[in-house]
Amino acid sequence: MRPSRGFVVLTVLVFAGDLLAGSLEVIVKDDKGRPGSDAVAYAVAAGAASAAPKKQAVVDQRDKQFVPYVTAVQVGTAVIFPNSDNIRHHVYSFSPAKKFELPLYSGVPAEPVVFDKVGFITLGCNIHDWMIAYVAVLPTPYFQVTRQDGRAVLKDLPAGQYTVQVWHPALKGQPEALAQRIDVGGGTKSLLFTLPLKHDVRAKRAPGLTTGGYR
Amino acid sequence: MTLSIVLLILFSSFARAEWRFEGETGVVYNSNLSNSDRSADVRDDWAWRSDISAANGLQLTRDLRLNLGADMRGEVWDRFDAFNTIGPGASAGLRYRFGLGRQAPWVLLEDRFGYDRFHDTAQSGYDNVLNFQTGIALSDRIALEGGYAFESFVSPNDFYDRQVHRGNARMVFDATSSLQVTVGYTYREGDVISYAVPPRPDIARFSIEREDQDEFGQPLRTAYKLLGRTHALSFSVAYQLMKYASVQLGYEYAITTHDPLQYENHLVEANIAVAY
Repeated sequence: MRPSRGFVVLTVLVFAGDLLAGSLEVIVKDDKGRPGSDAVAYAVAAGAASAAPKKQAVVDQRDKQFVPYVTAVQVGTAVIFPNSDNIRHHVYSFSPAKKFELPLYSGVPAEPVVFDKVGFITLGCNIHDWMIAYVAVLPTPYFQVTRQDGRAVLKDLPAGQYTVQVWHPALKGQPEALAQRIDVGGGTKSLLFTLPLKHDVRAKRAPGLTTGGYR
Repeated sequence: MTLSIVLLILFSSFARAEWRFEGETGVVYNSNLSNSDRSADVRDDWAWRSDISAANGLQLTRDLRLNLGADMRGEVWDRFDAFNTIGPGASAGLRYRFGLGRQAPWVLLEDRFGYDRFHDTAQSGYDNVLNFQTGIALSDRIALEGGYAFESFVSPNDFYDRQVHRGNARMVFDATSSLQVTVGYTYREGDVISYAVPPRPDIARFSIEREDQDEFGQPLRTAYKLLGRTHALSFSVAYQLMKYASVQLGYEYAITTHDPLQYENHLVEANIAVAY
């Protein structure tokens, strides 16, 4: 039995698409030229509908800290917040994109939290004020958090035009203001983002520096 | 039955308790350890001061936290070792926060009871401090705190009994991710002991005297216990070395009066603190 002409055309198109898939390296620096770690680089395809989120994400609590500090997910992703410490934590968010509270608990909560609205969410622990973390909820499956060297590689981007943005917890202003457009084909392309950042004044954990009456 | 339920809750709470161990050591300089008003009587000194503590934090509800702790404190003065002291203490505190999150206002009521053993054993005694504190974070960087404390020191030798009321306010400013700056004001009213070479009839008329004290060597002095009012301004910076350790530098200027007596103290402190 010979394959139909339509099947052959479809197969060729699929493999051609794979061949044309490209990568995008995003380099993030602050306005003093230092590498911008913990930034979220994401690419939104022009005119294409995003695929449904594929998996859960995890924000752990270890040694009275959220791990990781910055998490990026596609909108609609369920995030679980296990507590790996042997004490209880109380996770909350006041952010408009997702207000929620996981009252005092140990272990793994029965239900994950579904992040169903695009935005940037600040997490806190009501017991340990220095515990802070961020979840970037994005309208695209193409994203990465930058490493210590300020770099992130977005792989397997189908060929096409993208709007690339970068968000950071200390970013002054909105990521849209720094958006860049790029055409992705085969190979790897590179984009540089220079971010204006605010002072990092997150609450401190060391003795003598905790406030809020914590003992 | 009720007792059993309370005990069960307490035991289950202890199982989830958060232990915290802290140690702090450093030096303190007092420009007027003798609390004297005449420059000829003023004696300054510096001390090595240390404090270790173990505390157990129990989050009873979302907003209510109970802390139980034990500590040991000590001071060793360079020249005037009569003021060397060491002593254990125990504390209990309840903190209530009016809402969720770091910026919610809070109140803290705590009590510490301890024993201070002085090298000059006549000064030794039991110390109790009842402390009420409250605070609110105005932003991510600025917090305001204030409170009232009542301190009672009871010594077998009545002369060293002291009662003190203290009110304080401070502003805490997070300058960077590692540096914190605090400015504060304290008003203190209560018993103070001022040393002077006699005769001092001007002080004697409103104080209790204890003559021939040799804490500051020769010439022998008289210790005058009197009611004093102190205004103190303080400034300190704390730097987070890592999540478990910090260094702190502090300065306080205090002026104490009971007309016509008036004396000043400049206190400088440098500490390193670790916690786990």
